Amino acid sequence: MPVTELLIGGILLGGVYALMACGLNLIFGVMRVINFAHGDILAVAALSTVSIVVGFKLPFWLAVVLVPVGCALLGILIHMLILRRIESAPLIMSLLATYALSTILVNVAILIWGGGYSGLPGVLVGSVQLFGVNVSLSRLVSFLCAIGVSLAVWWLLQFTRFGRAVRSASQAPELASISGIAVDRIRLATFALGSGMAGLAGVLVAPAFAIDPQLGSRFIIKAFAVIIVGGMGSYPGAILAALLLGIVEVVGSYLAGAVIGSAFLFLLMLGVLLVRPRGLLGVGVRI
Amino acid sequence: MRQLGPLGVFAIALVAAGVVPLIGSDYAVSFSIQLLIFLVLAYSWNLIGGYTGYTHFGQVAFFGIGAYVGSLLIFHWNVPWYLAMLAAALAGAIAALPLGGAMLRLKGPFFAIGMFGLARVLEAFALGFDGITQGGTGIYLKPLGDLKPLYCAVAAIAAVMMLLTWRLDNSRLGLKLLAIREDENAAESLGIPTTRLKIGAFVASAVAPAAMGCLYSVYLGFIDPPTAFASNIELTTIAMVLLGGMGTVLGPLLGAIVLSVVNEVLWANYPQIYLASVGVIVLLAVLFTPRGLVNIGMKGGWLALGRPLFRRSAQPASQSS
Repeated sequence: MPVTELLIGGILLGGVYALMACGLNLIFGVMRVINFAHGDILAVAALSTVSIVVGFKLPFWLAVVLVPVGCALLGILIHMLILRRIESAPLIMSLLATYALSTILVNVAILIWGGGYSGLPGVLVGSVQLFGVNVSLSRLVSFLCAIGVSLAVWWLLQFTRFGRAVRSASQAPELASISGIAVDRIRLATFALGSGMAGLAGVLVAPAFAIDPQLGSRFIIKAFAVIIVGGMGSYPGAILAALLLGIVEVVGSYLAGAVIGSAFLFLLMLGVLLVRPRGLLGVGVRI
Repeated sequence: MRQLGPLGVFAIALVAAGVVPLIGSDYAVSFSIQLLIFLVLAYSWNLIGGYTGYTHFGQVAFFGIGAYVGSLLIFHWNVPWYLAMLAAALAGAIAALPLGGAMLRLKGPFFAIGMFGLARVLEAFALGFDGITQGGTGIYLKPLGDLKPLYCAVAAIAAVMMLLTWRLDNSRLGLKLLAIREDENAAESLGIPTTRLKIGAFVASAVAPAAMGCLYSVYLGFIDPPTAFASNIELTTIAMVLLGGMGTVLGPLLGAIVLSVVNEVLWANYPQIYLASVGVIVLLAVLFTPRGLVNIGMKGGWLALGRPLFRRSAQPASQSS
């Protein structure tokens, strides 16, 4: 078994999962909403990237800037039109709303881009040597960007005024509100930030994977697995679990084939749910 | 005009169901079978999702289990479809018992994610173990010549599900399940065996979908993993219950009839936006009629007053952390 190769492959895969799961986790932490549409925002972002680079012949870095901003705007729209209006409704309503939103996004994506696979040829081709293993450049760049942005957002949450406001809105909304924090606006900003992170993950996925409108449903379960294994609401837990699950998926696929290999992730998730529901680093979020 | 109670509505539904195969065309029978399959799914989902209030995104897992158990029995051993259906229902119950025991320890969003993930695991297994399930190629069954026996079976099961729900709604058991939905800890402290009841509701809500999975594959004459574990079946079922009214006796019936007709029109005229339309219907229902059509009917005075949904205003999400 080529251990180094599998480990590096797994960690590189985990980077994108980390970025996506961190956005999802952030939204859950502040809003207590499980965003089933998170993966579909990623898919729409990846497809938009292909359109920008292949269709409009614009440079890739422009997509890196434009698409996440677009996704953040989409997030603001979703929050204003739907989620803000059901904030005080029972939990089931927000689950159903984002689940419905997810199917709408998939359907719209199929209408715009068609149901087939597309890719991004000619961007970040080639490979580099890393610990004696050939690593494709696109995956390496994706990993570095994803981990970089995840850590930057973590820094933002830990050490800035905005970050403290987000954390207090997540831990004690009433007290935050009494202390003069505009919790509504923090929620809006968090949803926009989380959606933007999903958008960036989508841009980074585009050069490295085959993309289709159903991509979201494949990625969302992996992001769920990541935040459950890492601990819901725990930011470092999500990054750690993302890398771990990247390795599990790559090793599992190597041993048992791609289809069963990806099922390992869900089995691991179900196992953690049942044995240690608060996850590796979770503090035990009570719902 | 007198208000209609559940029994009155059921009587009308029963007469309508009896008339269809007598005077209806093949198309009407075929459409009615689909409607009734979804009706059964909706009533089953209502047990766990409506009464005990557990958001269940994995009902299609049992639908798929039933579809594969039934299809494989028919395909390999030429079992008659009604026996295959019974076997599928049994398989659903056998699978649901341990799964319910394990998964129902999870609450709220954890349960939703867990069941959602479970359905995807089973789909991956159905694709991956292609030695048994023929993977993505799917299993082709001999088409049924006459759909009427199938229709009668589905109609009978639908009637049973409606009557069971009506009985449940008027019983202590139903009140206990509602108590779990309103406040599980309080219910537990009143001496209600919440775990046992939840698992019971979970298993009860898995048996009929497994049977429907088998009948659906017989009806189509074909099954493959994306069909057996289709997320649009899940979404449509939930949409029906939500639109009609969760945790009510008549809600799933109203929702299933309205949405089946809407879906049929959409599917015939605009198949490319079918999924998005169902999604939009769910969104609109969430935003504007979270208590369902039943509530509108009761307010308008057409339906007899019953138990409204969410009597106690639910806690804002922010206060529960």
